[in-house]
Amino acid sequence: MTNGHPDLLKGLRAEQARDVLALGKRLVLSSGAELFPLGAPADALYVILRGRIRLTLPMQVRGGEEQVLVEERSPGQAVGWSALTPPYRFTLTATAPLETEVLALSRETLRAHFDAHPDAGLVVAMNLAAVIGERLQLFQTMWLREMQRTVELRCA
Amino acid sequence: MAVCISVLGLAVAAMAFGAATRPERVAAQPGVQPQPAQAKARFFVEPTARPPIPIEALLAQIENHVRLEQAAAESFMEYPTPALLHSKTTSTFVN
Repeated sequence: MTNGHPDLLKGLRAEQARDVLALGKRLVLSSGAELFPLGAPADALYVILRGRIRLTLPMQVRGGEEQVLVEERSPGQAVGWSALTPPYRFTLTATAPLETEVLALSRETLRAHFDAHPDAGLVVAMNLAAVIGERLQLFQTMWLREMQRTVELRCA
Repeated sequence: MAVCISVLGLAVAAMAFGAATRPERVAAQPGVQPQPAQAKARFFVEPTARPPIPIEALLAQIENHVRLEQAAAESFMEYPTPALLHSKTTSTFVN
């Protein structure tokens, strides 16, 4: 959260951020509830207002499928940016480990708003690029560390 | 005639040689089964199989490993150096 605004809206003027937030629909998730499953159509982006969201991927463990934590997001952060990038399908499963409130911003509503307010759209698009870029670098680093361990095991 | 007798003699000799050199068949003994090779006892370590850890504990180890790796990756992203990229983890999942 930056200056009280979600990360995706940082750099917007107060009234611009307010207008974007007014487009959203508040959802309250009970503890353990699923926000979206892997592979589902991604029609909305979610900004976490309170609580926490766990992003998981299925992993085969001892012949059974288990959800393994990939990332955890906290208030002010956005989840579900697959809603803004083709093919608009969620690539992770999102669940609330405790009672959590999110703001759902539908892709179509955002697109219509940013068509009418391209300056705000540009700021949000840049913020989105920063979020995606950061995640790419993070996972690239984690992947390389795992590869390094594999190399060390093979060469031991 | 002489050729026929020679060929016949050669055939008989070959059969006799084959019978003499054929390995003796040993009937399988019903009570004896092949035994799997046993692990040799080491000096300080008993060769007992470790019981698998409970799945909840394993998943907790994986989750802790992911958190530690993310923290390590974030440190690298803040100040990228080869040393930080290859910093050793304390994760019990890989140690």
